[in-house]
Amino acid sequence: MKAKISALMDGELDAHELSEPMSALGQDADAFETWRTYHLISDALQGRAMLANDCLRRVSARLADEPTLIGPLPADVARPQRARWFVPSALAASVAAVALVGWMAFSPQQSTGPLLVPVAKAPQPAQVAARAAPPAPVRLPMTAATRDYLIAHQALSSRNSLQGMAPFVRSVAAESIPGKP
Amino acid sequence: MSRTLGALLLFTVAGWAQAQTTPEALDWLRKIYQATEKLSYTGTFVYQQGDRTETSRITRLADAAGGTEKLEVLDGAPREILRTRDEIRCYLPESRTVKVDRRSDPRAFPALLPEQVGGLTDYYVITMGERRRIAGFKCQVIVLTPKDDLRYGYRLWADASSGMLLKAQTFDRDGHTMEQFTFTHLEIGSVARERLRPPRAAQGWHVEQAGVAPANLSQSGWSVGAELPGFRKIVEIRRMLRDAQPVAQMVYSDGLAAVSVFIEPMPGRAEAARIGISSMGAVNVYTREVANHLVTVVGEAPAASVQRIGNTVEYHPQ
Repeated sequence: MKAKISALMDGELDAHELSEPMSALGQDADAFETWRTYHLISDALQGRAMLANDCLRRVSARLADEPTLIGPLPADVARPQRARWFVPSALAASVAAVALVGWMAFSPQQSTGPLLVPVAKAPQPAQVAARAAPPAPVRLPMTAATRDYLIAHQALSSRNSLQGMAPFVRSVAAESIPGKP
Repeated sequence: MSRTLGALLLFTVAGWAQAQTTPEALDWLRKIYQATEKLSYTGTFVYQQGDRTETSRITRLADAAGGTEKLEVLDGAPREILRTRDEIRCYLPESRTVKVDRRSDPRAFPALLPEQVGGLTDYYVITMGERRRIAGFKCQVIVLTPKDDLRYGYRLWADASSGMLLKAQTFDRDGHTMEQFTFTHLEIGSVARERLRPPRAAQGWHVEQAGVAPANLSQSGWSVGAELPGFRKIVEIRRMLRDAQPVAQMVYSDGLAAVSVFIEPMPGRAEAARIGISSMGAVNVYTREVANHLVTVVGEAPAASVQRIGNTVEYHPQ
């Protein structure tokens, strides 16, 4: 099973091979521990910021306490009156979750790199809601390497018709970030 | 307690839901789009996000060829960007580099025409706000409130006589300002063409050509799954980033907010890919790995939207 989990992490399994290791991860504590250990090794090797050891369990516990209504409405489902009743409960639920996400966004990673920009000063309920399903991605600082993407994106942004060139300032703002060519 | 809070929020939300786009506000928005396209001007503006501010000068000369514009950053290294209808040149003094983004087909630059502004009402409620003076101009505030969580809202301050945008704020669904552009000085009227020359110092700098060409990613096995409501694919190209190998770029837009999806092979990258999400002002960048390719999603949209688009990228070899 360890070999399969490793292959799963590396994206080497075909679609029909996925179900066995995936269900093992859900049911077999050893398999899950292997999955965690491999990710820890991978994070350490690649120098990614690691979440605190016990984070997963605590996040799961907090999520279990949350009402299940949080989450963006499915794309195509019409959102008539019902939607209006969902929004406040999602908001209220999010108030509790905001503290958690705020903690996740700030505490472990902030010391790992030159954070030029305060990341997600105010975590948004939308963000909280969408993260309930997939695991929250690691927060990264903006680096000068990101600039190329920002310029390429801005060149094609529909915002330009509204505001002219002003938004381009974001794409060159990264030039002064230290530590990168 | 939470029930009281819920009820309170419900009233607030019901209040939002009742707000309607007014024809007057829509006319104002059209006026802003026309002013952006038609006016010549020069001015100084401040970009603010988080606790960071940066001052820049912007100069625009409107002409029959679609106009020429120049942005000069006045704080720190003197970075400049020159834009015409079919070319963008980015002058970066610290790396002595000129990045050139040129396309043979100017239609590849997606523009929202003033007559298409009405389409924005599918995703935003557009209303009139207060009147206020900005940098000496009497301005009318127009508010675009998003109808869902997938996009940000905008507050726009437009000069009452010309429609020129003097100030713009992007806000999230809690009303927090994510970023702000404000003119501190502006002169509308004729601009001398010399002011739009490229910087002299840039002679001899390294030139990076983007080499933009049309592309069809689905033919090579790539797909971006269920699109976000309101975000339509508007462009699909291949281009160079940093002199490396070609990168595919798809742009999705709701008419105002845009999200780009970049796909590039992992081997050949100079540095290890960093998987995760980063933010600057209203822009979120999400990176992930799919089938030994790096997928980078860049958008002026909430992190959850950018992530949602990124998570639907799939590769099916044919």
